[in-house]
Amino acid sequence: MPSIRLKDVCVDLPIYNSSGRSLKSALLAQAVGGRVADDRDRSVVVISALNHVTLNLEHGSRVAIIGSNGAGKTTLLRVMAKIYPPTHGAVDVIGRISSLTDLNVGMDGEATGYENVRMRGILLGLTSPQISRLMDDVTEFTELGDYLKLPIRCYSQGMMLRLAFGISTAIQPEIILLDEIIGVGDQAFAARARERLHVLIDAASILVLATHDTNIITQLCSSAIWLSHGRVVDIGPPAEILERYAKNPTPG
Amino acid sequence: MLEASWRGLADVLAGLSSWRTWKMLAWNDVRRRYRRSGLGQFWLTLSMAATIGGLGLVYSRLFGVNVSTYLPYIAVTFVIWGVISTVVIDSCNALIENEQLLRHVSLPRSLFIYRVIARNLIIAAHNVLIIPIVFVWFGVGVNVNILWIVVGLILLAANAFWIGYFLSIMCARFRDVPQIVTSVMQVVFFITPVMYLPDQLARRGFAVIKWNPFANLLEVVRDPLLGSAPSAWALGSCAVMAVVGLAVVMPFAGRYAPRVVYWL
Repeated sequence: MPSIRLKDVCVDLPIYNSSGRSLKSALLAQAVGGRVADDRDRSVVVISALNHVTLNLEHGSRVAIIGSNGAGKTTLLRVMAKIYPPTHGAVDVIGRISSLTDLNVGMDGEATGYENVRMRGILLGLTSPQISRLMDDVTEFTELGDYLKLPIRCYSQGMMLRLAFGISTAIQPEIILLDEIIGVGDQAFAARARERLHVLIDAASILVLATHDTNIITQLCSSAIWLSHGRVVDIGPPAEILERYAKNPTPG
Repeated sequence: MLEASWRGLADVLAGLSSWRTWKMLAWNDVRRRYRRSGLGQFWLTLSMAATIGGLGLVYSRLFGVNVSTYLPYIAVTFVIWGVISTVVIDSCNALIENEQLLRHVSLPRSLFIYRVIARNLIIAAHNVLIIPIVFVWFGVGVNVNILWIVVGLILLAANAFWIGYFLSIMCARFRDVPQIVTSVMQVVFFITPVMYLPDQLARRGFAVIKWNPFANLLEVVRDPLLGSAPSAWALGSCAVMAVVGLAVVMPFAGRYAPRVVYWL
């Protein structure tokens, strides 16, 4: 059964300025023993993005992550997607993850639409027959027709989004990680995109959604995680959490 | 330490097993560079041929070496040196330039080094066409020693891998390393017998070639093509370097490769 388990997870993000990026400076700092180091010239600043987060998400979880900007929502999604290794604590994720955080990932502007579908397919680890099914599915859904034979740098933004969305949502994952619900293109297409996304979400075992949109939360989610300054403030039913969040978004 | 080594090894093997991904990325790299040009990938071959032809004619006179020995020699060394130096230099950016991919997909870091090596071998495969043409022109024969090239290429790939793997991680953290590496490779080019014959230097009793790891790497691939077996010294030192290098890079990668995503 798919599950996401985070035990006492901390993530410290180092932020480097140009001298923190330099091997020369690092070696010089070693040579002088750091005694002349000036606190005002800190070349590395560490931000604590997640602070002792413990979570257990099981099959059937529909979870919203809420919190103000910089509360750690995206960082938490990236930890779940195994992109950020935690600095402390343990992460155990079972199940095939699809992280719909950037639809354009791995696309090449010089390559044609078809080539991009194939490349994304290989990136997802699909076999040749699976890729040809992906190709049919994307062709039908995007309705791009002969445009798929052209390099995607010639595409309009709407066409680009259709293709990226079509590919990203063609494979059914067990765990879906979403950073804001994606709106796609013109009205008629947006409706079909919504429908396709909802089919994907319904069939998934676990959904984690970071968003500010209360309508979507009440519509899709059965519980909410409230983050503030990288800490979990509370977990509970969305209506209750949202009400308290509205009163004081950044406690502590 | 041991745990870090296992994690490093796991990353190296995970990268190998996703060979379809790096093969695809490598081919796409080559294609996209020449997508809008008529001759396509063969521009590479043409410019390499021009370099070898021009250098061969001028430097054979400059060094007072017979052009029919000198030109086949640099045809071989330039093609091999092209692989060695571009793999080392490209590896510096292997992780940095894939920031978008690394931030959104969980992929083994070693995959990007395999991609750099594969891409440069594809490019070399185009340049290799020059060698038989030069050989036929100057009547240079090939003998059974050419079979040593299998050993030579394995040694080259193993060493290129650990050097590239190490540099890619270092460069993600320290952004001045790519410039340092580029300058170092420039110097290495001059102390490695790419443009001159090794005995021109050896006759003067200068041992720099013997202790230059890049000269040894060049030799194990070059000599089989020129009809002689590589020296035991070159084969041995390349093998030792590969084993030691891989053994050192494993715990290093196990410790730091996962953190690369924080540095991008």
